[in-house]
Amino acid sequence: MPDFLEALSVAKRYGGIVALSDATLKARSGEVHALLGENGAGKSTFIQILAGAVRADSGSITLGGERFAVRNPEEAQRLGVAAVFQELSLIPDLTVAENIFFRREPLSPLRTARAGAMREATAELFARYRFPAIRPDQELRRLTLAERQVVEIAKALARDPRVLILDEATSALAPRETEWLLGLSRDLAAEGKLVIYISHRLGEVRRIADRVTVFRNGATVAAYDTASVDDDTIIADMLGRQMERLYPERRNTTTGRIALSVKGLSVENRLADLDLDLREGEVLGVAGLQGHGQRELFQALFGAARASGAIEVWGKPRTIRSPRDALSGRDGLALVPEDRRNHGLLLAKSVRENLTLSVVKRFTRFGLTDPKREAKLVDDMIAQLRIKAGSPEQAAGTLSGGNQQKVIFGKMLLTDARILLLYDPTRGIDVGTKGEIFTLMRDLAARGYAILFYSSDLAELVHVADRVAVLRYGRLAAILEGAENSEHQILRAAMIDTRAA
Amino acid sequence: MTMIASEPGEHAARPPSAPARWRGWLLDRASLLIPCLMLLALLAVYGSMREGVFTLDELNLDTAAAMTLMLAATGQTIVLLRGGIDLSIGGMISLGTVIAATQFGDGGATTLLWSVLIVLLGAVVGMLNGALITVLRLQPFLVTLATWSILAGTALIILPIDGGSLPSGWMAFGSGSWLGLASPVWLLILLLAFWFWFKRTRTGIAIKATGSNERSAFLSGVSPLAINLWTYGLSGVFAALAALYLTTQTGAGSPTIGKDYILPSVAAAVIGGISLFGGRGGLVGTIIGAYILTIIGNLVFVLSISSYWQPIASGVILLIAVLASSLAEKSSRRNLS
Amino acid sequence: MNLARHRSILFAYLGLILLLVVTGLVAPGFLSPTHFRSLAVLAAFIGIVALGQTFVVIGGGIDLSVPWVLNAAAVLMTLFAHGQDAPLVWIVPLLLAAGTLVGVVNGLGVGLFGVPPIIMTLAVNVILQGGILVYTGGAPPATAPAAIQFLAVGRIAGFPVIVLLWIVLAIVATLLLSKTAFGRYLYAVGSSATVAEFSGVPTLRTSVAAYALSGFTAALAGMLLTGYSGQAYLGMGDPYLFTSIAAVAIGGASILGGSGHYVGTIAGALVLTVLTGLLPALNLSNGALLVVYGAVILVTVALASEALTDLLPRRRARRIS
Repeated sequence: MPDFLEALSVAKRYGGIVALSDATLKARSGEVHALLGENGAGKSTFIQILAGAVRADSGSITLGGERFAVRNPEEAQRLGVAAVFQELSLIPDLTVAENIFFRREPLSPLRTARAGAMREATAELFARYRFPAIRPDQELRRLTLAERQVVEIAKALARDPRVLILDEATSALAPRETEWLLGLSRDLAAEGKLVIYISHRLGEVRRIADRVTVFRNGATVAAYDTASVDDDTIIADMLGRQMERLYPERRNTTTGRIALSVKGLSVENRLADLDLDLREGEVLGVAGLQGHGQRELFQALFGAARASGAIEVWGKPRTIRSPRDALSGRDGLALVPEDRRNHGLLLAKSVRENLTLSVVKRFTRFGLTDPKREAKLVDDMIAQLRIKAGSPEQAAGTLSGGNQQKVIFGKMLLTDARILLLYDPTRGIDVGTKGEIFTLMRDLAARGYAILFYSSDLAELVHVADRVAVLRYGRLAAILEGAENSEHQILRAAMIDTRAA
Repeated sequence: MTMIASEPGEHAARPPSAPARWRGWLLDRASLLIPCLMLLALLAVYGSMREGVFTLDELNLDTAAAMTLMLAATGQTIVLLRGGIDLSIGGMISLGTVIAATQFGDGGATTLLWSVLIVLLGAVVGMLNGALITVLRLQPFLVTLATWSILAGTALIILPIDGGSLPSGWMAFGSGSWLGLASPVWLLILLLAFWFWFKRTRTGIAIKATGSNERSAFLSGVSPLAINLWTYGLSGVFAALAALYLTTQTGAGSPTIGKDYILPSVAAAVIGGISLFGGRGGLVGTIIGAYILTIIGNLVFVLSISSYWQPIASGVILLIAVLASSLAEKSSRRNLS
Repeated sequence: MNLARHRSILFAYLGLILLLVVTGLVAPGFLSPTHFRSLAVLAAFIGIVALGQTFVVIGGGIDLSVPWVLNAAAVLMTLFAHGQDAPLVWIVPLLLAAGTLVGVVNGLGVGLFGVPPIIMTLAVNVILQGGILVYTGGAPPATAPAAIQFLAVGRIAGFPVIVLLWIVLAIVATLLLSKTAFGRYLYAVGSSATVAEFSGVPTLRTSVAAYALSGFTAALAGMLLTGYSGQAYLGMGDPYLFTSIAAVAIGGASILGGSGHYVGTIAGALVLTVLTGLLPALNLSNGALLVVYGAVILVTVALASEALTDLLPRRRARRIS
């Protein structure tokens, strides 16, 4: 069968940053084609080009034998390419049906949207593809994130596309909905459509994809029939040869002293009765499938979520109701938050102001700030973390992702807190900076810091953490250390009920 | 398998229990229920103080009194739904009355012509607001503050003090009636009919959607410029209509009267459950809000207390309404998360 | 200091200088020391009211309660003092505290209960308006005590007292914004309340303090203004809603919060005042003044707009990479 979609040597640069250098993808209609690659490999840019949200600098794309060069999402949709991005395009205050038909509403003679027709069409669509039960007339903001994700998929399907692109569509879904989506992908392929499926979950890919294409550093490195390749080969393709250099040598620097002790910690129905000890000099990993309580654990410890249970910090009972309570100097806790841009940095403010925001009092004398003391703190931290900024006055928002993250680390270290809560600190960051961050973490541990470390990348936990606590449905499923601390064991604990054993 | 999905996600859906669903339903509609209850309470008090409150006459009178505010607040409602604000309606109302009072002459064709011109002017001025806000990415508050000043100044230049004259036929508008309903009531019915039509058009839906989530709306293909031209253009049109109606009541042009409608138009909308953050609420709430503000005036009158109590009562009602809906919003969000 | 980041403030001063030059050309007598002195006095009133407004706007809010806080302080001061100086000893501190308290209420409504600033301060404004009307029966009496008149129109060594007072306040405001933890926190809260909260900034306290300061300066300006006009009257605060916001906007602060400085607001207050004084000299009416006000606001906010920067050829991009 000839290839329906053929993208050859597609390239895209953003300013000085090369997002794609040589991306090639050939896919047939009637197949599920998986696109794999690490964060930052260029998958997102590539599918945004296909969807018309971004224009390629060079390369050629043909669809059904015809040149495919679209300027905006509408054009792409008209040519039959619909994409479901991680960033949802839904309107909270419209109903499910209104969202699905937004901008394409069927109109009455009075030019008004026909609500009944939209509801029926939605119900029909839902029935045809056996959607999970969602009421078409419900307002979107009353739905959970998973349900919204499903609606977004419906919105794409309602245009009856020839090519459907699913970008990490299962990441927000529960097991049952994931099953549904996997089945849906197969069904669509059976109808003769092309489904391009992007996922980090190799298991899913193996189950539904006919073929896989692997991206690394903005270029296609391999393409296989799924049946003819094993996981290790794919992983090796995705990672290249950087594995060994990425992770620092891990020496056990754990002392007997308990830095943070959590007893019976509960957060609404997200986190139940959790006991955990973090020791001085230790990097304690936290793992779990999406939404099994990791986020709530970090929020509760930092005072950003209401929680019940007892927390002891350096042997003393503490009540932490706000981030301000947590950031209490040497005996405090500091957080690298999940959402860098909305929780971590004042993007329009300078690197200097960001670094010192939590410690203004440290260079305030008689009520007035002392620029010299501040400059010293800032310069030291910029040097220590090798933050690449033109000057301390450069706006934080103009730094690269890795350097922004370093500023957040610097801000956290300046608070002198010796218990560090790192929530996915390497997400969306270039490999070089990742390595620097891991080295820094181990150095800090060696200097007596205690680090709680969540990562969505299991390999990081295995290679950097001394022990890994695995959460499952808001409960502690296992604590793994030594030889047990492997990706296999973590996944097992995260996915399979081990409590009975 | 190397990685676990890297996107932040929430928990899987768990269907809410029946009472929780009821609570959710109520909380969802709290922003409209609260003003309804307030209006009923006010009417109950008012009705117990005076006879004839629950008659068509009273409806006719109150509607006539509230209509300028209702028209101004209709434009404001559309802008607030979009997530913006329009202070320039104050200037537009003043300018409209002044132009009418100086240009209408003795009635007939000139009156009609100038009425149309005033409405067109409102549309143009509003679209100018929309264009400035979009193209220069300026804050609606500041842009419309500036255009308010410019329009109010123009009104003062045209007519430095209250005055001018209007055709007697023009001023008879308010006293007309049909089927026992005075013309302002019919105007209100027209207004509501327009609203129920407009909010279902693609443009109406897009305005609400843009206020609800700007980024998503744009991702779905809504043009920011087109939306702002429509939104502020309509606001200008309704300000012009408010001015025309106002002259039928006052019989004169007033270069400073418009400022009395700027903040009340926002207040009527907010009392009626419109969120200043956009996307939520509708004209029915705003109309109720306008009635509430008007009945407060009546109440102060029948209580024969100083009319100075009126702003106090309005302010308190405004605070209660907004506090109640913000609390409802909070618990509704907690329900969701 | 990084000039690029304070570009909008720079624009405000360039505009002011331009305005003064043009004025000097069209109306030569206009910039005589005497006339300039009286302009400075007028600017001081706007400047003092706009001081608090600047803090509120930097913190991401807006204070529409300024007019009647000002008016209430003015009316109550004349009522309590009966034209006597002696009671001012308790009246002035009391009313300043009351103004501050109104600000605290505003701040709590916004910060604690999540009421949008426009609505909260608007409601407080009309409630105060009604309250004062009811209390005075619509006819406020009495003249301003001599001591207040001295503060408003008196001179020390030929220098207007109120301008001296303004200078002191300006120095305090500048120190607060540029050199204190409170200033840092205020900019942080205005830029992103969430980031500020996650950084351990006392967000509620900070925004309440900004509104409190605005209540304080409005009350202060109200009392001083009675000294200037010789009496208190109803509606005397109304013009200051527009002018205080306009001065802040012309001074380069973003209404979204997180940027701007009182130094800019000073230029804004002067621009507004010079315009007010200039137009009668040119035989232009009040209406023309409003038109010019609006145009000036539009031009200055447009000049400060990021969009305009994007349209111009820029050096900035290179610095980023």
